[in-house]
Amino acid sequence: MENKPSQQKPAENTEVNQDELILQQQRRIEKEISESIALVGEKEPLQSLEREYLEDEVYLSKAKTLGQKYSYIRRTRPDGNCFFRAFSYAYLERLIDIKDEFEKFRELALKSKDNLVSLGFPEFTVEDFHDTFMEVIDKVGAGTEASRLELHKLFNEQGYSDYVVVYLRLIASGQLQREADFYQHFIEGDRTVTEFCHQEVEPMYKESDHIHIIAMSAALGTGVQVRYMDRGAGTEATAHDFPEGVPPAVHLLYRPGHYDILYP
Amino acid sequence: MSFEGKYNVKSPAVKRLMREAQELHEATEEYCAHPLDDNLFEWHFTVHGPPSTDFEGGVYHGRILLPPEYPMKPPNIILLTPNGRFEVNKKICLSISGHHPETWQPSWSIRTALLALIAFMPTPGNGTIGSLDYSTEERQKLAKKSLSWQCDSCGKIADLLSKDTAKTPITEEEQHMLDTIALKAEEASTNEPSFSSSIENVSESELRQRRMDTQPETHEQQEAEIIVNPQVETMSSSNDLFWSILIATLLFAIILLVLRRLFLV
Ligand SMILES: [Zn+2]
Repeated sequence: MENKPSQQKPAENTEVNQDELILQQQRRIEKEISESIALVGEKEPLQSLEREYLEDEVYLSKAKTLGQKYSYIRRTRPDGNCFFRAFSYAYLERLIDIKDEFEKFRELALKSKDNLVSLGFPEFTVEDFHDTFMEVIDKVGAGTEASRLELHKLFNEQGYSDYVVVYLRLIASGQLQREADFYQHFIEGDRTVTEFCHQEVEPMYKESDHIHIIAMSAALGTGVQVRYMDRGAGTEATAHDFPEGVPPAVHLLYRPGHYDILYP
Repeated sequence: MSFEGKYNVKSPAVKRLMREAQELHEATEEYCAHPLDDNLFEWHFTVHGPPSTDFEGGVYHGRILLPPEYPMKPPNIILLTPNGRFEVNKKICLSISGHHPETWQPSWSIRTALLALIAFMPTPGNGTIGSLDYSTEERQKLAKKSLSWQCDSCGKIADLLSKDTAKTPITEEEQHMLDTIALKAEEASTNEPSFSSSIENVSESELRQRRMDTQPETHEQQEAEIIVNPQVETMSSSNDLFWSILIATLLFAIILLVLRRLFLV
């Protein structure tokens, strides 16, 4: 608390502090708003996106064009973990219907722990996250209508939901570090891939960029399509496939700073 | 230790803490730690002063406070034994050097926090909040004295560490973490919730009101805020004091003017 007003000169310091205090107040309000949004919401018709932008021509026209390609949207909490949460929810939801792809994924998830430990991640805690991750996969994997309810329930329980996010962050970090020579080119500044992972991938609440998505889709061998919706020119939210040329298994909507799930 | 009845053992955080309790159950020559009998989210720990430093031979005891979001958010450490490096009874938190407490990794653990504390003891305090820069002699004196220091709930701490269980070797990953870690006393940012008292204004309370309808504050959140506020208390009261004096002075001046008007016709 460097700016803490001292007992002697409260008046002067109170003024200096005002900006900082307002900023903190703003951050706190943002946090409260964020926490009032479900970790993963219900499926909504895409028209609900249009209704958000009745006053905003650029976004409205893009929302309308999006409505021709997608039928539903599922919102996630904007807490910096939204890419990982949206991705894992959408992917697991898809796997409920595709038995053999589910089995392949389960196999990969099972083996992922040893891979992470061999990369130097602490076994004790990685095992803890891995156990919960497998528990979630197995509870959802039955492939029945109850699986969907279970998935939705687990992803809205902070404990389970965050554990899945942590574990996916570890998998993404592992992927980046295993192929550090390749990924080094994508990292700005003079950080090494390992430093980047420690600062931008592994910690919770850190927002995801292209490189996170590339790493995630590469690690799981899953195509991801992201629709970018911003103030840029055109009447369509630009599509970007990760990796290029692979049919997407997961569709996401990106609006500056945030990812939600889309359904064709 | 039986938390089974008290906590939801299916909750990942509870499972994780019970695992850690199991792991740290057996004391080594370097450290030991255990949750309190009635609270899995508060632990007491004991560490040996690192060899070849001012703290060699000393034994230091303290509390570990785990946030409800643990392990998504870092634990806080409070030292109880006078040591000459950290103020006692003051919350210190773990972060990567610089000022990014958010770079705590969920894959770190209470063991990581203790290793960081041990590694951080011999580093210069540089006048940061919560740090002390006592001389070597004073620290050595405190190290000797620490052997007879007692904790109200754990007893004589010098007996808590094991003399013959070798320490668990530090892994490469842990070494990397220790190279970059920093311990700091809490900064303003972590005090956020409590600042509201001093700057609450209309728009904010309106916003809050609207939010409150949909989102009742949880018990844990309130608890976390309570731990945080001793400094803030003095801060807002110093503000209050200033305003009370100002108002009193103005009132006094007005009364004086009125009286003068009334009596000095
Ligand atoms: Zn104790």
